[in-house]
Formats: sequence, structure tokens, C-alpha cells
Amino acid sequence: MKQDTGRNRRAIWGLVIGIVLIAGAAALYAVSASGDDDITWDVTLVGRNNEELVLSYKEIRDLPATKSRGGFFTTVGVVNGPFDVEGVRLTELCDLVGGVTSGDVVSVCATDGYSMVFDYKQLNGDIETYDAVTLHEVPHEKQLEVLLIYKQDGKTLTDEYGRPLRVAAVADADLLTEGHNWVKWVDRIEVIKLD
Amino acid sequence: MSVLAACSGGEEKTGMRVLCAGSLMMPFNEIEAAFEAQHPDIDVLVEGHGSIQVIRHVTELHEESDVMVVADYSLIPMMMYNTEIPETGESYTDWYITFATNSLGIAYTPSSRYAGEINGDNWHEILSRPDIKLGMADPRLDACGYRALMLLSLAETYYRDDSLFEGVLGTFNPAIELVPQGTATRITVPEIIHPESEKIVLRGSSIRMLALLESGDIDYAFEYRSVSEQHNLEFVGLPPEIDLGSVEYTGGYGNATVLLDFHRFSSVRPEFIGQPIIYGVTMPRNAPHPEKAVEFIQFLFGPESRRIFDENCQALLDPIRADNLPQVPQELAPLLQ
Repeated sequence: MKQDTGRNRRAIWGLVIGIVLIAGAAALYAVSASGDDDITWDVTLVGRNNEELVLSYKEIRDLPATKSRGGFFTTVGVVNGPFDVEGVRLTELCDLVGGVTSGDVVSVCATDGYSMVFDYKQLNGDIETYDAVTLHEVPHEKQLEVLLIYKQDGKTLTDEYGRPLRVAAVADADLLTEGHNWVKWVDRIEVIKLD
Repeated sequence: MSVLAACSGGEEKTGMRVLCAGSLMMPFNEIEAAFEAQHPDIDVLVEGHGSIQVIRHVTELHEESDVMVVADYSLIPMMMYNTEIPETGESYTDWYITFATNSLGIAYTPSSRYAGEINGDNWHEILSRPDIKLGMADPRLDACGYRALMLLSLAETYYRDDSLFEGVLGTFNPAIELVPQGTATRITVPEIIHPESEKIVLRGSSIRMLALLESGDIDYAFEYRSVSEQHNLEFVGLPPEIDLGSVEYTGGYGNATVLLDFHRFSSVRPEFIGQPIIYGVTMPRNAPHPEKAVEFIQFLFGPESRRIFDENCQALLDPIRADNLPQVPQELAPLLQ
């Protein structure tokens, strides 16, 4: 009986170690497969008093995440999405450099020289939403969020969709917003005090 | 990016990418089909964007394209003549051909408030009424939007009414400023645009006005004549002195300039001088299929395309002209003046 118990313990330990090894390998595979580990990217945040903070991609990933859903359409009505997205609220990023008030605008700039300006109302949800099929304007029932996203449909962004960080204006529904808001390849977010 | 697509018989077609201004999408979709019927070995991929984006896709995002068509020909020399292809150091192009035009006016529906009254003489009085809803494209984002500001500034001079601009649009906070400069006016648009009057409805592009008109959310909108007629809307044509549709009035249009405080594209100086709406076409020097692109442009200037443009109410220039003619592919030269 004693010999059997010892054999059982060894078997159980072997099983536990095996599970741990498999889980570890799976976790490593998941990180690698997400394409996250090789991303080196910085975003410069500038506050209304010129306070500057540079956040790495990893530091942005470590901030509290917001999940939502939505898509966009281009000038000529080509629909993209809706997608499940995950990222950080632009307002929360601005809070890291002094916040944004109703007397400010926020300029979001990209590496390709494109930029878009959001006012305080837009940052807090005042953006028109559209039906994903008819493209007619429809109201959004849930809070519209302006996010800096790093995940789309559970995966890191592809270059075509603005890898690694882009803006998404989403209302947690199958609704669209105008594509000019969805700035790709974001590398600078600046709070500007209006005169 | 050379695209090969399988056709129904199993043979491969050559994919040819045509980037064009959004206001040309309806006729270009038909031209694509007509061209492919004559060239079964070619699969034309027409892709519409705002005109600045048409060029940026090639010069800044480094995508390949065979033909590029923009609603403002002057963007081609501004953004392509002095921009080098990274691999070769050559400019993206050094020629363009102007071939089509348009004009700006007021689109509405039979259900619009005062639809039975508005005409080419009283339009500014109707649009000044506080109980109408007026839509316009955001001038920071869409050429139709800043052209509408030019139109209203020119209308102040034409009708000798220096309150017309504010009468139609109301006030903004921060203000859109009109600064006289001799006989001209510079219109300064701030980084954000907040109309103080609820009668003004702004959207990111002029195309968005169509659904708002159909749903009755707005009564009137500034719109291109071709787009309005393609969507069977009513349209008030305006005097040629202000509608940005006549080459004869080029000098007068130049009296309105729009300066944007909002810098959307680092490669584009956000100052726009009034000029006639003239469409231009070119081929980037690194077009993957230059011979096919030349054939497409020949077809674009041919009788079948003319019929399609005519059916889509898209005005064409006659004659068509080239800038830097010696650089234009020689097969196109006989079609030009």
C-alpha cells in the first residue's frame, strides 16, 4: 500500500508539472501569437500647460482598458466593421497630463502626418452614429466613447487598421461613425487650450 | 501591388487600380463596367476618396495606383510634382489633364420648407430665415464645405450685402472671421466649428447631406450640381459669378480665400484660394500597368464615357487640356489641346 501511495504521489506531481508546463507554453504562445511582444511604439502626451509624458505601447496596454463595439465608413460610404475593440479612453490619457476641460480641444496626430481635433463634447460622446446597413443617422443608446485602441476583434491591429494604436469612436453597438475620426498610427495626443 | 484576379473562364485578369474623387463615383462605376466589357482581360478596381486622400494614398501611404482622378486639379502639382518616389528619386508625376467641371448650388427636396419659393434670385433670403435647417460639409474636412464659405463670401460682393454670410450661417463660437484684403476676403476657419444657431447642421462630408435631405432632417444643403442631380434632388443653380463653375470667372473667384487653423494633413498648406471646380487626371510614374492606364484614360475621354458622364449630369470640359504636354504619354496627345 505504501509503495502504491508513493507511486500515486509521483504520478500526481508529474501531472501537475505537466499541466504547469503546458499552461506556460500556451501562455507564451498566446503572447507571441498576439504580436504584442515585438511592438516598440511611443505616444507623446502633451497637456494644456505643455506638460509632456511619453508612454510606451506596453504602458498604454497596462492602463485600465475599455471594451466596446463599433465601426466606421469612408467618405464614399465604404463600411468597415463593426468590430469589438479594446483600448483606453482619450480623456483618461489626457488626465495623465492635467486633463481636458470644455475650453480645450485635443489634437490626435499620426506618423503619416494626419491629424484630427476633438472638442470636449465629442470626447464625451457627442458624435453622430449611423446604421451599419443604411448609413442613415440613428441615435446611440449607450455611451459613445473615443478610445485609443490596440485590439480589434480580439487581436492586435494590423498595419492596414493602424497598428499598433488608432482612435475609435464607438457606442458599444453595431453602429458606425465617420471614418475621419479613426486616426491610424497615433503617436501624439495634445491638449490645446482655446484662446 | 500587382493584382491578378481570376475571371469566370479561369483565365487571370490584370487588376488595375483607379483612385478617384468621391463625387465621381457614380459615373466611374459605370465607366469601369463599360471599359471591362471592352477589355475582358482587365479588372478595374475603382476606389473613391476625398481628393487629398486620393493623392496621399500614393505619395504618403506609398500604395500603388494606375490612374488618379481628383476634383481639384491644382492638388496634383502641389502634392506630386515635387514629391519623390523613394525608390527612384523621381517625382510622382509631372503632368495632368483637366477634363471635367462642376458647380456649387443649393440642394433640396419638394418637402423642404419654402421649397415652392426658393429660386436663383432669392436663395440667400430663404436660407437666412431662422426656421429652416441648412446642412453643409465641415469646411475643415471637405472641399465642398470650404467652397460653400467661398460662395457665400463672393455672394456678399455680388449682391452688395455684407451681412449675407452671417445671415445665412449665423455666428460661430469661436468665430469664422472674414477679413477684407483690398477687393478680396480671407475667411479664417478656427480649429473647431460650433454653430451658435441650431439651424446649421455640419457633417464630415457633403455626401452625408443626401440622407439628411431625404429624411427631412435638413431643408437645404450646399452641394455639387452633379451629385444633387444624380440623387434626383431639387437644385437651385446660382449665378456663375459665385457658383465656382465657370472658367470665365476665375479672377473673381480668387477674391475668396479660406484659411484653416486646423492642419489636417502635414503635407497640405491649409489655405485654399477660390477657383473654378475642375477635375484633373494623371498617372503616377510608378503605375504598375502604365499601358493599361493609358488605355483607360483614352476610354475616359471617348464617346462611351462622354455618354455616361452626360447621363450622370457630370459636366465635361471641351476641349480637354494638359499641363506639361511634352510629358503626357504620347498616345494621349492627339486627344488634347
